[in-house]
Amino acid sequence: MRSFSDINPLAAALYFFCVTGIAMFSSYPPVMALSLFGGVLFFIVRNGRSRAKSHLFFFILFMILLIANPLMSHNGVTVLFVMNDNPVTLEALLYGLNSAAMIVGVLYWFRSFTQIMTSDKLLYITGSLSPKLSLIISMALRFVPLFNKQSQKIKSSQTAMGLFKDDNIIDDIRARMRIFSILITWALENGITTADSMSARGYGCTRRSQFRRFRFHRSDVIFLIITAGLFALCCAALSCGSLEFTFYPAIKYSKPDLLGICGISAYSVLVLMPVIIETGVSLKWKYFMSKI
Amino acid sequence: MEILHVEDLSFTYSLCSSPALKNVSFSVRKGEFCVLCGATGSGKSTLLRLLKKELIPNGEISGKALFNGKPTAEISDIDSASKIGFVMQRPEQQIVTDKVWHELAFGLENLGVPASEAARRVAEMASYFGIGEWYDKDVSELSGGQKQMLNLAAILVMKPEILILDEPTAQLDPIAASDFIATLRKLNHDLGLTILIAEHRLEETVPICDKLLVIEKGVLIADAPPEAAISELKAHPEILCGMPAASKLYTELDGGSSCPLTVRQGREFIAAAFKNDIRELPDTDNTLSGDTALEFKGVFFRYSKNSQDVLKGLDLKINQGELFCILGGNGSGKTTTLNAAAGLIKPYCGSIKVFDKKLKDYRNRSLYRDCLAMLPQDVQTVFLRNTVREELEDSGTDVSALPYDITHLLDKHPYDLSGGEQQLVALAKVLAASPKLLLLDEPTKGMDAAAKLKISSILRDLRDNGVTIVVVTHDVEFAAECADRCAMFFGGQVVSVEKSKRFFSENNFYTTAVNRITRDFYSDIVTHDDAVKICRMNGRKEALP
Repeated sequence: MRSFSDINPLAAALYFFCVTGIAMFSSYPPVMALSLFGGVLFFIVRNGRSRAKSHLFFFILFMILLIANPLMSHNGVTVLFVMNDNPVTLEALLYGLNSAAMIVGVLYWFRSFTQIMTSDKLLYITGSLSPKLSLIISMALRFVPLFNKQSQKIKSSQTAMGLFKDDNIIDDIRARMRIFSILITWALENGITTADSMSARGYGCTRRSQFRRFRFHRSDVIFLIITAGLFALCCAALSCGSLEFTFYPAIKYSKPDLLGICGISAYSVLVLMPVIIETGVSLKWKYFMSKI
Repeated sequence: MEILHVEDLSFTYSLCSSPALKNVSFSVRKGEFCVLCGATGSGKSTLLRLLKKELIPNGEISGKALFNGKPTAEISDIDSASKIGFVMQRPEQQIVTDKVWHELAFGLENLGVPASEAARRVAEMASYFGIGEWYDKDVSELSGGQKQMLNLAAILVMKPEILILDEPTAQLDPIAASDFIATLRKLNHDLGLTILIAEHRLEETVPICDKLLVIEKGVLIADAPPEAAISELKAHPEILCGMPAASKLYTELDGGSSCPLTVRQGREFIAAAFKNDIRELPDTDNTLSGDTALEFKGVFFRYSKNSQDVLKGLDLKINQGELFCILGGNGSGKTTTLNAAAGLIKPYCGSIKVFDKKLKDYRNRSLYRDCLAMLPQDVQTVFLRNTVREELEDSGTDVSALPYDITHLLDKHPYDLSGGEQQLVALAKVLAASPKLLLLDEPTKGMDAAAKLKISSILRDLRDNGVTIVVVTHDVEFAAECADRCAMFFGGQVVSVEKSKRFFSENNFYTTAVNRITRDFYSDIVTHDDAVKICRMNGRKEALP
């Protein structure tokens, strides 16, 4: 068993797509709760106790989303109280809670996604779509920091040569604009060398192939099959209306039938899969260590 | 077997009246190591580019260039890309992608090599070059030397039959450059790879080459094994001055049996040909111990809280009116020292005084007005305008008052100039502010020998006019040529400060080739001119019967 971040990027991307997709297209509160729970849990398992700031940010966002809806929307039959001649309803409050859980949950998943999907992996994924697109992304990823670095270099050498002569803002802005304009020239000039270097190495002389750094192992295939199966179950439950939930005007939901229960259980397994994998891996290491 | 055959090749750039190459003919046999040399602007790059289909510049070509008996322009795209490898001067700009592994694979991807084969070739190359350790890194984390090594490896994965290199070590420090050249030699020896390289670093490349091609103003003036080629160069001092020290001494002193190329051969030549009754040149030292221009006292600096100290209690005193060179390896804190002196970075401990006034007392950026100026290592960053003329008008430079002539450059774009010309224009720019203290970071990077001599004479003139000059350099020969005093940096501290002659003659490794040749026979001989002088004073040994 390998840790979740070592899973083939395509499989991992597909997994994230399934989890967040279901969370976004359903409005069934237990699904939202599961997605939020799984997202937070996975983030904590990956990052431990650090990242308190992210958690705080997400909490504040959650509260804002929760409060905003009942203040804006006055639908619903159960009036809790009246504020500024506007009714604040229980249904709107619950709707706000539900959508806040959805948004924050999905954001947590994306946070973990960006941590796991390093630029190599993104290139691998885009490369399977189009090798050219992947090359352009790779060049852009290289160029942006290069541009920044050069701008810093020009700025410090101009300072030492007295370009920023006085401490006055207009003078500074003017100097900065000139630096920017020469940076463009520099970038174009560099572009020529890079283009030479590309054509010297045969760019465009035949159809590009794609160098692969990641392979599908047996465990990746198993992971994919499980993901796909669980996703299919959830979709079935969603599309058959077993997980119907309406907030307005009054809360109404169908009593979960067998398919609904299957859907919910499938989603809970889906959401917990990365955490299960990570725990499995660390337990395994502990076991190996104790044997050594 | 001939791999490359050039016959009567001439080339004129479009929009140019005079040809850049005139009737060049030569041939390269399989497995040969050829060095192409010549002053900047003599047509080296043009010639090399004409041999690679994709890089042929716009203009009019006549004559033939055959690769394996076939005109280079008629080779198929794939063959041309894979069989003729081309490495250019600037390491940074040649790299296309953001990751080391992707850069290695780039050429193979272009050729449509299937993934499994590509994986094998890349792995093989990464192991051969020892790239394994930085295989997963971002390209931006690599040093200049590593970048150029990566460029070389990225070409070799395509299995070229000939490798053409256009001044590949110009932007590298001497250690990285030696590594690079050693790698080329290894490739030539181990794999029989044919190599054609244009270089300024001839001290290292000439002794290992099979053939030396010398080009001057677009005309090939020598095409022979190095010993023979050098003997034809006596009439061309501008090119001769870049040749290995031993061969220069030999030519200047009207030689003898065969031309020495390495330090070892040079010693044998001097030992066999010259007496050493007079061991020292008369002392002509004129040291000044005037007021202090720049003073560091217990300066500590680090880039971030958790990093290591780059400067560790640096103490340094530079007198007014002297030309001071700072030498040392990479990461010894040389450039950091210069940046600190220019007030670009602030040490967390210790004080820096410029003309007996603390740096922080220069308020309102008055430090940069009529007092101090710095030329950075990457001299391109100095320019902001589209022509040299605008550039100089901006800074208020009076071209006619300069100690050297740059009028022929006025209408060019600063980026189109050669490294040496850029340095001269940049210098002209800072001289307008008539600085009393001039800081230069690696002024000779990427220059040919003649340009170095010119810069060093300009710097000495400036010094004679009362400007204090501090130069950070890797270039031992240049420092020996121009410095009054030198300092050796190591680990963020000064480990020795000495008058230039003493400094180099006491060092064993960090010294000029001339000193290494002559040190057993004469003492304190550091520069070529001194060596010639003392050899002449001593006179030749009687020829053995």
